[in-house]
Amino acid sequence: MKRIIASVTDGKGFDIGLVLLPLAFLFIMSGLPLVYNLVMSFQEVDMFSLGSFVRPFIGLKNYADLFSQSETRPILLNTAIFVSASIAGQFLIGFGLALFFWMNFPGASWLRGLFLVSWVMPGLVVGAIWNWILSGDFGVLNFFLRETGVTDGNIFWRSDPNYSLWAVIIANIWLGTSFNMILLSVGLSGIPKDLYEAAELDGANAVQRFFTITLPMMRSTIGAIIALGLIFTLQQFDLFAAITSGGPNNASNVTQYWAWDLSFRQYDFAKGATISVIMIVFVMLASVVYVRSTRHEVRG
Amino acid sequence: MSDTFRNRLMFAVALVLAAIYLFPLYWMYITALKTGSAMFATPPKFLPSEPQWGIYQYVWQSRNMGRYLWNSLVIASGAVSLIAVLGVGCAYALARYRNAWVDVGLFLILMLQVLPASLMVTPIFVGFSQFGLLDTPRLAVILAIAAKSMPFFVVLVRATFMSVPMELEEAALVDGNSRIGAFFNIVLPLARNGILVSAILIFMQSFGEFVYSKSMIQAVELQPASVGLNSFMGPNTNEWNNIMAYATIYVTPILAAFVLLQRRIVSGLTSGALK
Repeated sequence: MKRIIASVTDGKGFDIGLVLLPLAFLFIMSGLPLVYNLVMSFQEVDMFSLGSFVRPFIGLKNYADLFSQSETRPILLNTAIFVSASIAGQFLIGFGLALFFWMNFPGASWLRGLFLVSWVMPGLVVGAIWNWILSGDFGVLNFFLRETGVTDGNIFWRSDPNYSLWAVIIANIWLGTSFNMILLSVGLSGIPKDLYEAAELDGANAVQRFFTITLPMMRSTIGAIIALGLIFTLQQFDLFAAITSGGPNNASNVTQYWAWDLSFRQYDFAKGATISVIMIVFVMLASVVYVRSTRHEVRG
Repeated sequence: MSDTFRNRLMFAVALVLAAIYLFPLYWMYITALKTGSAMFATPPKFLPSEPQWGIYQYVWQSRNMGRYLWNSLVIASGAVSLIAVLGVGCAYALARYRNAWVDVGLFLILMLQVLPASLMVTPIFVGFSQFGLLDTPRLAVILAIAAKSMPFFVVLVRATFMSVPMELEEAALVDGNSRIGAFFNIVLPLARNGILVSAILIFMQSFGEFVYSKSMIQAVELQPASVGLNSFMGPNTNEWNNIMAYATIYVTPILAAFVLLQRRIVSGLTSGALK
């Protein structure tokens, strides 16, 4: 006993204790729910059996039901559009801004950091602001679009099924661009300057330098950022709750909102758990890519 | 073209870019000050002609914002304390060693970091209700947020501990300190800034948390400001000046803290996310 106490205060046991306590907490609060989620996806869960641990086991019926529902396909497609358009927008705008702020001038890093306010704000507030900006009759975005001649009339961003998903995508691009930009800036500042000097001596112009030095040197950073973008866009929930609530008629619904909607609006916890299982597997695959590319960053 | 001219030009362009990017924020502040009719004017006014400063007091009282913000504060402080107590030691131990076990631990932690809250809330809600945790909904939300955000905190703080030279700790051990003594007297003070910045970042996130609170807290008296804002925004609302005033009161403290600590937050964030 004495030896154990001595080890905890003064030896390896100290470190092991420090790690095991939080890992136990995470296991109970994240690991067990993951398993429970999987179990529920094979069970029949309704309001009456919600409180009991013993519930009828129905095999893959939840999965079969889910894929025979008519809204499943459009929502999966929406998710794909939401994720790819958001990542593309955030990455391209973020990369452009990062390249601009990379040209050193006084005040560059301070101004660049200011962009990050979009990322520290509560998602619900960002959603509320964009909800107002995107409003159909009185929204300021429609005003700009009309004045610049891009559109003739007002676009009803939130209630037109053709645009409602894009309303959330626009808000999400705004939200995530700054984070992309900051991380890309870090990557850019890691490229040795003498590479550019050598290329310039050899007569390479700015475009050639970008494609032969900047892009190849940034490869692992870009991989990490895109994987991270995938993870963050699949976590995006607040904007849907604040702007469209998945409507009209599921036109802007995506899996991560649908799973919540099924569980907490329609009280179909088994279906909610089933979608969660599918999406969590997908997110975990993405995070393996992210972890691998950050690993590469540290060692290479 | 002289260097100073180039610098000024670049700074001007950068200012314009920042102004475009931050326009939504400006629009929030301006809309809050408009009268009901000025808000729906076409073309919209970009400077309020008769700013309505009384709106903040009106919204604060009519929406009972004090209670909402207090709940947000309770939830965020609870989550941050729990995360800090559990996470700092974990980050320290993971920074001190470099072996296969540490790699496994780090990998597990990174995997937990990516689980979307809106997907995890279903099993957490059902499990918590079975164990009676939903009778204390704010505690339930604190536990759920802690599980969600701790991995991120550990990753950030681990990066801080990596930058503390191990020799200092070894010297303290040679001088007769125990491991615990060396940890509290030498390592922790040296890593204090990094830990504080990470804690502030987690605090900001928890202060705006929505999914768990919305799903688990039914009683209005216990709901945080994010849920309050959500119920303020009905589908056909036209009180946009009041909503924007609510949003202003809600985010201004966060924005102020961010602008003051900007440099530290940005460097802390980047060191953790990519390394």
